[in-house]
Amino acid sequence: MSVSADDVRKIARLAELEVAEEQLPELVSQMSRIVDYIAQLAQVPASETPKPFVTGPDAIRFRPDEVRPWPMAFGAKDLAPAFKNGFFLVPKLDAFGDGAPAQ
Amino acid sequence: MTETAAPEALAAARAAADRMGKTKRLNALLTPAKDLRKSLLAQAKEVHPSGVLYGMPVAVKDNICTLEFPTTCASKILDGWQSPHEATAVAKLKAAGALIAGKANLDEFAMGSSTEHSAFGRVIHPLEKSRVPGGSSGGSAALVAAGAVPAALGSETGGSVRQPASFCGVVGIKPTYGRVSRYGLVAFGSSLDQIGVLGRSVHDAARVLSVISGRDGKDNTCEDRDPLRLPNVPENLQGFVIGLPKEYFPPDMDAGVRRACDRAIRALKELGAAVRDVSLPHTAYAIPAYYVIAPAEASSNLARFDGVRFGPRLGEGTDLRALYRETRGEGFGPEVRRRILVGTYVLSSGYYDAYYRKAQQVRALLAQDFRNVFDRGVDLIFTPTTPTTAFKAGERMADPVAMYLADIFTCTANLTGLPAMSVPIGRVKGLPVGGQFIGQSWLEDEMLEAAYALERAIPGAEDV
Repeated sequence: MSVSADDVRKIARLAELEVAEEQLPELVSQMSRIVDYIAQLAQVPASETPKPFVTGPDAIRFRPDEVRPWPMAFGAKDLAPAFKNGFFLVPKLDAFGDGAPAQ
Repeated sequence: MTETAAPEALAAARAAADRMGKTKRLNALLTPAKDLRKSLLAQAKEVHPSGVLYGMPVAVKDNICTLEFPTTCASKILDGWQSPHEATAVAKLKAAGALIAGKANLDEFAMGSSTEHSAFGRVIHPLEKSRVPGGSSGGSAALVAAGAVPAALGSETGGSVRQPASFCGVVGIKPTYGRVSRYGLVAFGSSLDQIGVLGRSVHDAARVLSVISGRDGKDNTCEDRDPLRLPNVPENLQGFVIGLPKEYFPPDMDAGVRRACDRAIRALKELGAAVRDVSLPHTAYAIPAYYVIAPAEASSNLARFDGVRFGPRLGEGTDLRALYRETRGEGFGPEVRRRILVGTYVLSSGYYDAYYRKAQQVRALLAQDFRNVFDRGVDLIFTPTTPTTAFKAGERMADPVAMYLADIFTCTANLTGLPAMSVPIGRVKGLPVGGQFIGQSWLEDEMLEAAYALERAIPGAEDV
Protein backbone atom coordinates (compact mmCIF):
# COMPACT_ATOMS: atom_id res chain seq x y z
CA MET A 1 0.00 0.00 0.00
CA SER A 2 1.43 3.38 -0.99
CA VAL A 3 -0.71 5.13 1.66
CA SER A 4 -0.70 3.91 5.27
CA ALA A 5 -3.35 4.16 7.98
CA ASP A 6 -1.20 6.76 9.72
CA ASP A 7 -1.06 8.80 6.49
CA VAL A 8 -4.86 8.79 6.31
CA ARG A 9 -5.16 9.78 9.98
CA LYS A 10 -2.74 12.67 9.43
CA ILE A 11 -4.47 13.90 6.25
CA ALA A 12 -7.89 13.63 7.89
CA ARG A 13 -6.61 15.80 10.75
CA LEU A 14 -5.29 18.37 8.27
CA ALA A 15 -8.63 18.34 6.43
CA GLU A 16 -10.63 18.65 9.71
CA LEU A 17 -12.50 15.48 8.80
CA GLU A 18 -13.46 12.83 11.33
CA VAL A 19 -12.69 9.34 10.06
CA ALA A 20 -13.84 6.37 12.11
CA GLU A 21 -11.22 3.66 12.76
CA GLU A 22 -13.41 1.02 11.12
CA GLN A 23 -13.42 3.06 7.88
CA LEU A 24 -9.63 3.21 7.74
CA PRO A 25 -8.87 -0.12 5.96
CA GLU A 26 -11.18 0.71 3.04
CA LEU A 27 -9.89 4.30 2.83
CA VAL A 28 -6.28 3.13 2.90
CA SER A 29 -6.98 0.69 0.06
CA GLN A 30 -8.92 3.20 -2.08
CA MET A 31 -6.48 6.07 -1.50
CA SER A 32 -3.55 3.81 -2.35
CA ARG A 33 -5.30 2.84 -5.60
CA ILE A 34 -5.84 6.53 -6.48
CA VAL A 35 -2.33 7.62 -5.51
CA ASP A 36 -0.78 4.75 -7.50
CA TYR A 37 -2.88 5.81 -10.49
CA ILE A 38 -1.97 9.51 -10.39
CA ALA A 39 1.70 8.57 -9.87
CA GLN A 40 1.94 7.98 -13.64
CA LEU A 41 2.33 11.77 -13.91
CA ALA A 42 5.98 11.13 -13.01
CA GLN A 43 6.43 9.66 -16.50
CA VAL A 44 6.02 13.12 -18.07
CA PRO A 45 9.58 14.34 -18.74
CA ALA A 46 10.52 17.37 -16.68
CA SER A 47 12.07 18.84 -19.84
CA GLU A 48 8.59 19.33 -21.31
CA THR A 49 7.80 22.67 -19.74
CA PRO A 50 5.48 24.80 -21.84
CA LYS A 51 4.39 28.24 -20.75
CA PRO A 52 2.10 28.15 -17.71
CA PHE A 53 -1.57 27.77 -18.51
CA VAL A 54 -4.47 29.47 -16.74
CA THR A 55 -8.10 29.16 -17.81
CA GLY A 56 -10.29 32.22 -18.06
CA PRO A 57 -9.88 35.75 -19.31
CA ASP A 58 -6.34 36.72 -20.34
CA ALA A 59 -6.40 39.72 -18.06
CA ILE A 60 -8.27 39.24 -14.78
CA ARG A 61 -10.22 42.35 -13.99
CA PHE A 62 -9.96 43.67 -10.47
CA ARG A 63 -12.74 45.42 -8.62
CA PRO A 64 -12.09 48.53 -6.55
CA ASP A 65 -11.13 47.48 -3.03
CA GLU A 66 -14.16 48.88 -1.27
CA VAL A 67 -17.03 47.62 0.83
CA ARG A 68 -20.23 47.36 -1.17
CA PRO A 69 -23.70 46.22 -0.18
CA TRP A 70 -24.27 42.64 -1.26
CA PRO A 71 -27.82 41.81 -2.25
CA MET A 72 -29.04 38.90 -0.15
CA ALA A 73 -32.60 37.82 0.40
CA PHE A 74 -31.86 37.40 4.12
CA GLY A 75 -28.88 37.74 6.43
CA ALA A 76 -26.52 35.62 8.49
CA LYS A 77 -28.99 35.45 11.36
CA ASP A 78 -31.27 33.27 9.27
CA LEU A 79 -28.45 31.26 7.72
CA ALA A 80 -26.30 30.21 10.65
CA PRO A 81 -27.03 27.29 12.99
CA ALA A 82 -26.28 29.59 15.98
CA PHE A 83 -26.12 33.41 15.78
CA LYS A 84 -26.53 36.13 18.42
CA ASN A 85 -25.95 39.90 18.54
CA GLY A 86 -24.08 39.92 15.22
CA PHE A 87 -21.81 36.97 16.07
CA PHE A 88 -21.67 33.32 15.03
CA LEU A 89 -21.81 31.18 18.16
CA VAL A 90 -19.34 28.29 18.36
CA PRO A 91 -18.01 26.01 21.13
CA LYS A 92 -14.77 27.15 22.77
CA LEU A 93 -11.47 26.28 21.07
CA ASP A 94 -9.68 23.69 23.20
CA ALA A 95 -6.14 23.56 21.81
CA PHE A 96 -5.24 20.73 24.18
CA GLY A 97 -8.27 18.63 23.42
CA ASP A 98 -9.04 16.46 20.41
CA GLY A 99 -5.65 16.21 18.67
CA ALA A 100 -3.34 19.16 19.03
CA PRO A 101 -3.38 21.87 16.35
CA ALA A 102 -2.91 20.50 12.83
CA GLN A 103 0.64 20.48 11.56
CA MET B 1 -47.88 40.34 -13.45
CA THR B 2 -49.22 40.89 -16.94
CA GLU B 3 -52.81 40.01 -17.80
CA THR B 4 -51.90 38.70 -21.25
CA ALA B 5 -49.01 36.67 -19.99
CA ALA B 6 -50.72 34.58 -17.40
CA PRO B 7 -52.88 32.11 -19.40
CA GLU B 8 -50.06 30.75 -21.61
CA ALA B 9 -47.48 30.76 -18.87
CA LEU B 10 -49.91 29.16 -16.42
CA ALA B 11 -50.70 26.43 -18.94
CA ALA B 12 -46.97 25.84 -19.45
CA ALA B 13 -46.44 25.72 -15.68
CA ARG B 14 -49.26 23.21 -15.13
CA ALA B 15 -48.06 21.02 -18.00
CA ALA B 16 -44.49 21.06 -16.68
CA ALA B 17 -45.65 20.12 -13.17
CA ASP B 18 -47.70 17.24 -14.64
CA ARG B 19 -44.78 15.96 -16.70
CA MET B 20 -42.42 16.21 -13.75
CA GLY B 21 -44.87 14.17 -11.67
CA LYS B 22 -44.64 11.34 -14.19
CA THR B 23 -40.87 11.06 -13.80
CA LYS B 24 -40.97 10.35 -10.06
CA ARG B 25 -39.64 6.80 -10.55
CA LEU B 26 -36.34 8.25 -11.86
CA ASN B 27 -35.53 10.06 -8.56
CA ALA B 28 -34.17 12.82 -10.81
CA LEU B 29 -35.92 15.72 -9.09
CA LEU B 30 -35.18 16.74 -5.49
CA THR B 31 -38.05 19.24 -5.23
CA PRO B 32 -41.27 17.78 -3.75
CA ALA B 33 -44.04 17.71 -6.38
CA LYS B 34 -46.37 19.91 -4.32
CA ASP B 35 -43.70 22.61 -3.82
CA LEU B 36 -42.80 22.50 -7.49
CA ARG B 37 -46.36 22.99 -8.69
CA LYS B 38 -46.94 25.85 -6.28
CA SER B 39 -43.73 27.60 -7.31
CA LEU B 40 -44.27 27.09 -11.04
CA LEU B 41 -47.73 28.63 -10.82
CA ALA B 42 -46.40 31.57 -8.80
CA GLN B 43 -43.57 32.11 -11.31
CA ALA B 44 -46.02 31.93 -14.23
CA LYS B 45 -47.97 34.83 -12.75
CA GLU B 46 -44.87 37.01 -12.69
CA VAL B 47 -43.20 36.11 -15.97
CA HIS B 48 -43.19 38.63 -18.81
CA PRO B 49 -44.24 37.49 -22.31
CA SER B 50 -41.52 39.39 -24.12
CA GLY B 51 -38.77 37.04 -22.94
CA VAL B 52 -37.13 34.79 -25.53
CA LEU B 53 -37.69 31.77 -23.27
CA TYR B 54 -41.22 32.80 -22.28
CA GLY B 55 -42.94 29.91 -20.47
CA MET B 56 -40.09 27.44 -21.04
CA PRO B 57 -39.59 25.20 -17.98
CA VAL B 58 -35.91 24.70 -17.17
CA ALA B 59 -34.77 22.36 -14.38
CA VAL B 60 -31.69 23.43 -12.44
CA LYS B 61 -28.97 21.18 -11.02
CA ASP B 62 -29.07 21.41 -7.24
CA ASN B 63 -25.59 22.88 -6.89
CA ILE B 64 -26.80 26.11 -8.55
CA CYS B 65 -28.37 28.58 -6.12
CA THR B 66 -32.04 29.50 -6.43
CA LEU B 67 -34.37 31.57 -4.29
CA GLU B 68 -37.41 29.45 -5.17
CA PHE B 69 -36.04 26.16 -3.83
CA PRO B 70 -33.41 24.95 -1.33
CA THR B 71 -29.90 24.21 -2.66
CA THR B 72 -28.50 21.02 -1.16
CA CYS B 73 -25.76 19.86 -3.55
CA ALA B 74 -27.31 16.41 -2.82
CA SER B 75 -25.39 16.47 0.46
CA LYS B 76 -26.42 15.89 4.05
CA ILE B 77 -24.18 18.83 5.00
CA LEU B 78 -26.52 21.23 3.16
CA ASP B 79 -29.78 19.38 3.73
CA GLY B 80 -32.60 21.93 3.46
CA TRP B 81 -30.24 24.88 3.00
CA GLN B 82 -31.88 27.94 1.50
CA SER B 83 -29.49 30.20 -0.39
CA PRO B 84 -29.82 33.94 0.31
CA HIS B 85 -28.94 34.75 -3.31
CA GLU B 86 -29.54 33.27 -6.75
CA ALA B 87 -27.05 32.34 -9.44
CA THR B 88 -26.60 34.85 -12.25
CA ALA B 89 -27.49 32.09 -14.75
CA VAL B 90 -30.79 31.53 -12.95
CA ALA B 91 -31.53 35.28 -12.78
CA LYS B 92 -30.89 35.54 -16.54
CA LEU B 93 -33.20 32.59 -17.24
CA LYS B 94 -35.99 34.21 -15.23
CA ALA B 95 -35.44 37.57 -16.93
CA ALA B 96 -35.84 35.78 -20.28
CA GLY B 97 -39.21 34.37 -19.20
CA ALA B 98 -38.18 30.83 -18.30
CA LEU B 99 -39.80 28.98 -15.40
CA ILE B 100 -37.42 27.40 -12.90
CA ALA B 101 -38.74 23.83 -12.84
CA GLY B 102 -37.22 22.50 -9.64
CA LYS B 103 -33.83 21.22 -8.56
CA ALA B 104 -32.27 18.19 -10.20
CA ASN B 105 -30.47 15.40 -8.35
CA LEU B 106 -26.70 15.06 -8.77
CA ASP B 107 -23.64 13.33 -7.41
CA GLU B 108 -22.90 14.98 -4.06
CA PHE B 109 -21.18 18.33 -4.72
CA ALA B 110 -20.96 17.27 -8.41
CA MET B 111 -18.34 14.63 -7.59
CA GLY B 112 -19.10 11.52 -9.57
CA SER B 113 -19.89 10.07 -12.97
CA SER B 114 -23.04 8.07 -12.29
CA THR B 115 -25.30 10.08 -9.92
CA GLU B 116 -25.01 7.18 -7.49
CA HIS B 117 -23.16 9.41 -5.01
CA SER B 118 -26.23 11.43 -3.95
CA ALA B 119 -27.30 11.62 -0.32
CA PHE B 120 -30.86 11.40 -1.64
CA GLY B 121 -30.50 8.16 -3.61
CA ARG B 122 -29.32 7.29 -7.10
CA VAL B 123 -30.96 8.52 -10.30
CA ILE B 124 -32.42 5.83 -12.57
CA HIS B 125 -31.55 5.80 -16.29
CA PRO B 126 -34.75 6.77 -18.15
CA LEU B 127 -34.39 3.99 -20.74
CA GLU B 128 -33.02 1.10 -18.67
CA LYS B 129 -33.62 1.08 -14.93
CA SER B 130 -30.64 -1.13 -14.07
CA ARG B 131 -28.25 1.46 -15.54
CA VAL B 132 -26.93 4.82 -14.42
CA PRO B 133 -27.73 8.09 -16.25
CA GLY B 134 -24.13 9.28 -15.96
CA GLY B 135 -23.07 12.16 -13.77
CA SER B 136 -22.72 14.34 -12.09
CA SER B 137 -25.63 16.15 -13.81
CA GLY B 138 -27.54 12.84 -14.03
CA GLY B 139 -30.81 14.29 -12.71
CA SER B 140 -30.78 17.09 -15.29
CA ALA B 141 -30.02 14.63 -18.12
CA ALA B 142 -32.70 12.15 -17.01
CA LEU B 143 -35.38 14.87 -16.79
CA VAL B 144 -34.60 16.10 -20.32
CA ALA B 145 -34.40 12.56 -21.74
CA ALA B 146 -37.72 11.64 -20.11
CA GLY B 147 -39.38 14.63 -21.76
CA ALA B 148 -40.19 16.42 -18.49
CA VAL B 149 -38.38 19.60 -19.55
CA PRO B 150 -36.92 20.74 -22.89
CA ALA B 151 -33.72 21.90 -21.20
CA ALA B 152 -31.94 21.88 -17.85
CA LEU B 153 -28.92 23.53 -16.32
CA GLY B 154 -26.02 21.32 -15.31
CA SER B 155 -22.47 22.01 -14.29
CA GLU B 156 -19.16 20.70 -15.54
CA THR B 157 -15.87 20.17 -13.80
CA GLY B 158 -14.66 17.13 -15.77
CA GLY B 159 -17.49 16.25 -18.16
CA SER B 160 -20.52 16.29 -15.88
CA VAL B 161 -22.84 17.68 -18.56
CA ARG B 162 -21.53 15.90 -21.66
CA GLN B 163 -21.12 12.45 -20.10
CA PRO B 164 -24.72 12.16 -18.78
CA ALA B 165 -25.98 13.75 -22.01
CA SER B 166 -24.23 10.96 -23.91
CA PHE B 167 -25.58 8.22 -21.60
CA CYS B 168 -29.16 9.54 -21.79
CA GLY B 169 -29.29 10.46 -25.49
CA VAL B 170 -29.66 14.23 -25.18
CA VAL B 171 -27.53 17.24 -26.13
CA GLY B 172 -25.06 18.63 -23.57
CA ILE B 173 -22.95 21.77 -23.94
CA LYS B 174 -20.00 22.94 -21.87
CA PRO B 175 -19.12 26.49 -22.95
CA THR B 176 -15.67 28.08 -22.95
CA TYR B 177 -14.43 28.75 -19.40
CA GLY B 178 -15.59 32.31 -18.67
CA ARG B 179 -18.54 32.30 -21.10
CA VAL B 180 -21.10 31.85 -18.29
CA SER B 181 -20.89 33.42 -14.85
CA ARG B 182 -20.08 31.02 -12.01
CA TYR B 183 -21.74 33.32 -9.47
CA GLY B 184 -24.13 31.13 -7.48
CA LEU B 185 -22.62 27.85 -8.66
CA VAL B 186 -21.37 26.09 -5.53
CA ALA B 187 -17.62 25.84 -6.11
CA PHE B 188 -15.96 22.45 -6.61
CA GLY B 189 -12.86 23.07 -8.78
CA SER B 190 -12.90 26.79 -9.49
CA SER B 191 -10.43 26.71 -12.41
CA LEU B 192 -12.50 23.97 -14.09
CA ASP B 193 -16.14 24.65 -13.16
CA GLN B 194 -18.59 25.97 -15.74
CA ILE B 195 -22.37 25.96 -15.86
CA GLY B 196 -23.57 24.04 -18.92
CA VAL B 197 -26.86 23.16 -20.57
CA LEU B 198 -28.64 19.91 -21.40
CA GLY B 199 -31.34 20.01 -24.06
CA ARG B 200 -33.55 17.67 -26.04
CA SER B 201 -32.13 19.22 -29.24
CA VAL B 202 -29.14 21.35 -30.22
CA HIS B 203 -31.44 24.34 -30.60
CA ASP B 204 -33.05 24.00 -27.16
CA ALA B 205 -29.67 23.72 -25.46
CA ALA B 206 -28.11 26.49 -27.54
CA ARG B 207 -30.84 29.05 -26.92
CA VAL B 208 -30.65 28.49 -23.16
CA LEU B 209 -26.86 28.83 -23.36
CA SER B 210 -27.24 32.05 -25.29
CA VAL B 211 -29.48 33.49 -22.54
CA ILE B 212 -27.23 32.57 -19.60
CA SER B 213 -23.98 33.63 -21.29
CA GLY B 214 -22.29 37.00 -21.14
CA ARG B 215 -20.59 39.38 -18.73
CA ASP B 216 -21.34 39.50 -15.00
CA GLY B 217 -19.87 41.94 -12.52
CA LYS B 218 -20.23 39.35 -9.76
CA ASP B 219 -17.70 36.93 -11.28
CA ASN B 220 -14.33 38.26 -12.38
CA THR B 221 -13.48 35.03 -14.18
CA CYS B 222 -16.49 35.65 -16.45
CA GLU B 223 -15.25 37.21 -19.68
CA ASP B 224 -16.38 40.75 -20.49
CA ARG B 225 -18.31 39.73 -23.63
CA ASP B 226 -21.78 40.03 -25.05
CA PRO B 227 -24.05 36.98 -24.84
CA LEU B 228 -23.40 34.23 -27.38
CA ARG B 229 -25.14 34.82 -30.71
CA LEU B 230 -26.70 31.72 -32.16
CA PRO B 231 -25.60 30.70 -35.65
CA ASN B 232 -28.01 29.80 -38.44
CA VAL B 233 -28.54 26.14 -39.21
CA PRO B 234 -26.06 25.51 -42.04
CA GLU B 235 -26.95 23.84 -45.34
CA ASN B 236 -23.71 21.90 -45.24
CA LEU B 237 -20.30 21.89 -43.60
CA GLN B 238 -18.19 22.86 -46.60
CA GLY B 239 -15.08 24.69 -45.49
CA PHE B 240 -14.99 22.99 -42.07
CA VAL B 241 -11.89 20.99 -41.17
CA ILE B 242 -12.61 18.41 -38.48
CA GLY B 243 -9.80 16.61 -36.67
CA LEU B 244 -10.04 13.04 -35.36
CA PRO B 245 -7.47 12.56 -32.56
CA LYS B 246 -6.12 9.01 -32.67
CA GLU B 247 -5.80 8.92 -28.87
CA TYR B 248 -9.61 9.06 -28.58
CA PHE B 249 -10.12 6.10 -30.94
CA PRO B 250 -7.99 3.37 -29.31
CA PRO B 251 -7.73 -0.09 -30.91
CA ASP B 252 -9.65 -1.70 -28.03
CA MET B 253 -12.52 0.78 -28.30
CA ASP B 254 -16.04 -0.51 -27.64
CA ALA B 255 -17.32 -1.90 -30.96
CA GLY B 256 -20.76 -0.30 -30.71
CA VAL B 257 -19.37 3.16 -29.89
CA ARG B 258 -16.92 2.73 -32.80
CA ARG B 259 -19.80 1.91 -35.21
CA ALA B 260 -21.76 4.99 -34.10
CA CYS B 261 -18.70 7.23 -34.47
CA ASP B 262 -17.89 5.80 -37.92
CA ARG B 263 -21.42 6.57 -39.08
CA ALA B 264 -21.20 10.12 -37.69
CA ILE B 265 -17.82 10.68 -39.38
CA ARG B 266 -19.26 9.46 -42.71
CA ALA B 267 -22.13 11.93 -42.26
CA LEU B 268 -19.71 14.80 -41.55
CA LYS B 269 -17.84 13.98 -44.77
CA GLU B 270 -21.08 13.78 -46.75
CA LEU B 271 -21.96 17.22 -45.38
CA GLY B 272 -18.78 18.53 -47.01
CA ALA B 273 -16.41 18.73 -44.04
CA ALA B 274 -12.78 17.80 -44.56
CA VAL B 275 -11.87 15.15 -41.99
CA ARG B 276 -8.27 14.80 -40.91
CA ASP B 277 -6.40 12.49 -38.49
CA VAL B 278 -4.65 14.45 -35.73
CA SER B 279 -2.77 13.69 -32.52
CA LEU B 280 -3.12 15.05 -28.98
CA PRO B 281 -0.09 13.24 -27.55
CA HIS B 282 -0.52 14.01 -23.84
CA THR B 283 -4.12 12.75 -23.61
CA ALA B 284 -3.11 9.71 -21.52
CA TYR B 285 -2.09 12.01 -18.67
CA ALA B 286 -5.34 13.98 -18.62
CA ILE B 287 -7.24 11.83 -16.10
CA PRO B 288 -4.34 11.57 -13.63
CA ALA B 289 -3.80 15.34 -13.88
CA TYR B 290 -7.52 15.99 -13.48
CA TYR B 291 -7.73 13.79 -10.39
CA VAL B 292 -4.95 15.82 -8.79
CA ILE B 293 -6.16 19.33 -9.70
CA ALA B 294 -9.89 18.84 -9.10
CA PRO B 295 -9.55 17.25 -5.62
CA ALA B 296 -6.89 19.81 -4.67
CA GLU B 297 -9.26 22.67 -5.50
CA ALA B 298 -12.18 20.81 -3.89
CA SER B 299 -10.32 20.30 -0.62
CA SER B 300 -9.91 24.06 -0.41
CA ASN B 301 -13.39 25.04 -1.64
CA LEU B 302 -15.18 22.61 0.67
CA ALA B 303 -13.34 23.87 3.75
CA ARG B 304 -16.17 26.40 4.17
CA PHE B 305 -18.65 23.67 5.13
CA ASP B 306 -17.99 23.38 8.84
CA GLY B 307 -21.31 23.84 10.65
CA VAL B 308 -20.56 27.42 11.71
CA ARG B 309 -21.95 29.82 9.12
CA PHE B 310 -24.53 27.75 7.24
CA GLY B 311 -25.96 24.27 6.93
CA PRO B 312 -26.84 21.98 9.82
CA ARG B 313 -24.45 21.44 12.72
CA LEU B 314 -23.84 17.71 13.18
CA GLY B 315 -22.34 15.74 16.07
CA GLU B 316 -21.79 16.75 19.69
CA GLY B 317 -19.18 19.45 19.01
CA THR B 318 -17.98 20.15 22.55
CA ASP B 319 -14.84 21.84 21.18
CA LEU B 320 -14.59 24.03 18.07
CA ARG B 321 -12.37 21.65 16.14
CA ALA B 322 -14.49 18.70 17.19
CA LEU B 323 -17.46 20.61 15.78
CA TYR B 324 -15.67 21.01 12.44
CA ARG B 325 -14.61 17.39 12.28
CA GLU B 326 -17.88 15.87 13.36
CA THR B 327 -19.99 18.08 11.11
CA ARG B 328 -17.76 17.40 8.11
CA GLY B 329 -17.21 13.72 8.93
CA GLU B 330 -20.92 13.06 9.25
CA GLY B 331 -22.13 15.55 6.63
CA PHE B 332 -19.99 14.55 3.64
CA GLY B 333 -20.58 11.26 1.81
CA PRO B 334 -17.85 8.72 0.94
CA GLU B 335 -16.80 10.10 -2.48
CA VAL B 336 -16.58 13.71 -1.25
CA ARG B 337 -14.55 12.58 1.78
CA ARG B 338 -12.23 10.61 -0.49
CA ARG B 339 -11.65 13.60 -2.74
CA ILE B 340 -11.05 15.98 0.17
CA LEU B 341 -8.48 13.53 1.52
CA VAL B 342 -6.77 13.07 -1.87
CA GLY B 343 -6.75 16.84 -2.43
CA THR B 344 -5.25 17.47 1.00
CA TYR B 345 -2.68 14.73 0.36
CA VAL B 346 -1.44 16.12 -2.98
CA LEU B 347 -1.17 19.62 -1.54
CA SER B 348 0.63 18.56 1.62
CA SER B 349 4.29 19.14 2.27
CA GLY B 350 6.51 16.65 0.44
CA TYR B 351 3.94 15.72 -2.22
CA TYR B 352 3.13 19.08 -3.80
CA ASP B 353 5.91 18.96 -6.42
CA ALA B 354 5.37 15.31 -7.32
CA TYR B 355 1.64 15.65 -7.88
CA TYR B 356 0.20 19.16 -8.00
CA ARG B 357 3.03 20.93 -9.80
CA LYS B 358 3.35 18.02 -12.22
CA ALA B 359 -0.40 18.06 -12.91
CA GLN B 360 -0.24 21.78 -13.72
CA GLN B 361 2.60 21.03 -16.13
CA VAL B 362 0.44 18.38 -17.83
CA ARG B 363 -2.41 20.85 -18.03
CA ALA B 364 -0.19 23.26 -19.95
CA LEU B 365 0.99 20.43 -22.23
CA LEU B 366 -2.62 19.47 -23.00
CA ALA B 367 -3.45 23.09 -23.84
CA GLN B 368 -0.42 23.18 -26.14
CA ASP B 369 -1.54 19.94 -27.84
CA PHE B 370 -4.87 21.55 -28.74
CA ARG B 371 -3.19 24.80 -29.86
CA ASN B 372 -0.91 22.84 -32.17
CA VAL B 373 -3.88 21.12 -33.82
CA PHE B 374 -5.96 24.28 -34.18
CA ASP B 375 -2.94 26.24 -35.48
CA ARG B 376 -2.66 23.72 -38.33
CA GLY B 377 -6.04 24.67 -39.73
CA VAL B 378 -8.36 22.32 -37.84
CA ASP B 379 -11.61 24.05 -36.84
CA LEU B 380 -13.13 21.40 -34.61
CA ILE B 381 -12.25 18.08 -33.06
CA PHE B 382 -14.65 15.12 -33.12
CA THR B 383 -14.46 12.21 -30.66
CA PRO B 384 -16.75 9.79 -28.84
CA THR B 385 -18.06 11.47 -25.67
CA THR B 386 -17.61 8.36 -23.53
CA PRO B 387 -15.75 5.06 -24.01
CA THR B 388 -18.92 2.99 -23.39
CA THR B 389 -22.68 3.34 -23.18
CA ALA B 390 -24.36 3.70 -19.76
CA PHE B 391 -22.95 1.15 -17.32
CA LYS B 392 -24.88 -0.81 -14.71
CA ALA B 393 -25.62 0.68 -11.30
CA GLY B 394 -23.15 -0.49 -8.68
CA GLU B 395 -20.66 -1.72 -11.30
CA ARG B 396 -17.97 0.87 -10.55
CA MET B 397 -18.75 1.91 -6.98
CA ALA B 398 -16.05 -0.23 -5.39
CA ASP B 399 -13.22 1.04 -7.61
CA PRO B 400 -12.95 4.86 -7.71
CA VAL B 401 -10.42 4.79 -10.57
CA ALA B 402 -12.76 2.71 -12.76
CA MET B 403 -15.42 5.38 -12.14
CA TYR B 404 -12.96 8.19 -12.97
CA LEU B 405 -12.20 6.62 -16.37
CA ALA B 406 -15.77 7.39 -17.49
CA ASP B 407 -14.50 10.99 -17.94
CA ILE B 408 -11.47 10.05 -20.04
CA PHE B 409 -12.68 11.79 -23.23
CA THR B 410 -14.33 14.77 -21.56
CA CYS B 411 -11.97 16.11 -18.91
CA THR B 412 -9.45 17.53 -21.41
CA ALA B 413 -11.89 20.29 -22.40
CA ASN B 414 -12.23 21.31 -18.74
CA LEU B 415 -8.49 21.26 -18.13
CA THR B 416 -7.94 23.46 -21.20
CA GLY B 417 -11.03 25.66 -20.85
CA LEU B 418 -12.22 24.81 -24.38
CA PRO B 419 -15.90 24.63 -25.38
CA ALA B 420 -17.24 21.15 -26.05
CA MET B 421 -20.57 19.42 -26.55
CA SER B 422 -22.14 16.00 -26.89
CA VAL B 423 -24.71 15.15 -29.57
CA PRO B 424 -26.65 11.86 -29.81
CA ILE B 425 -25.21 9.82 -32.71
CA GLY B 426 -27.10 6.54 -32.39
CA ARG B 427 -27.82 3.71 -30.00
CA VAL B 428 -26.22 0.37 -29.23
CA LYS B 429 -28.65 -2.30 -27.97
CA GLY B 430 -31.05 0.53 -27.17
CA LEU B 431 -28.55 2.59 -25.18
CA PRO B 432 -27.53 6.04 -26.46
CA VAL B 433 -24.07 6.96 -27.76
CA GLY B 434 -22.82 10.55 -27.84
CA GLY B 435 -20.41 12.17 -30.27
CA GLN B 436 -18.31 15.03 -28.94
CA PHE B 437 -17.21 18.22 -30.67
CA ILE B 438 -14.40 20.20 -29.04
CA GLY B 439 -14.05 23.74 -30.39
CA GLN B 440 -11.69 26.67 -30.07
CA SER B 441 -12.10 29.13 -27.23
CA TRP B 442 -15.03 31.54 -27.78
CA LEU B 443 -15.99 29.84 -31.07
CA GLU B 444 -19.04 27.98 -29.76
CA ASP B 445 -20.90 29.18 -32.86
CA GLU B 446 -18.75 26.95 -35.12
CA MET B 447 -19.28 24.00 -32.81
CA LEU B 448 -23.03 24.61 -32.81
CA GLU B 449 -23.14 24.82 -36.61
CA ALA B 450 -21.51 21.40 -36.91
CA ALA B 451 -23.83 19.99 -34.25
CA TYR B 452 -26.94 21.39 -35.98
CA ALA B 453 -25.83 19.79 -39.25
CA LEU B 454 -24.95 16.42 -37.71
CA GLU B 455 -28.19 16.31 -35.73
CA ARG B 456 -30.15 16.69 -38.96
CA ALA B 457 -28.02 14.24 -40.93
CA ILE B 458 -28.24 11.17 -38.69
CA PRO B 459 -31.05 9.63 -36.65
CA GLY B 460 -29.60 9.94 -33.14
CA ALA B 461 -32.15 7.61 -31.56
CA GLU B 462 -31.68 4.64 -33.96
CA ASP B 463 -29.58 1.57 -33.26
CA VAL B 464 -26.39 1.33 -35.33
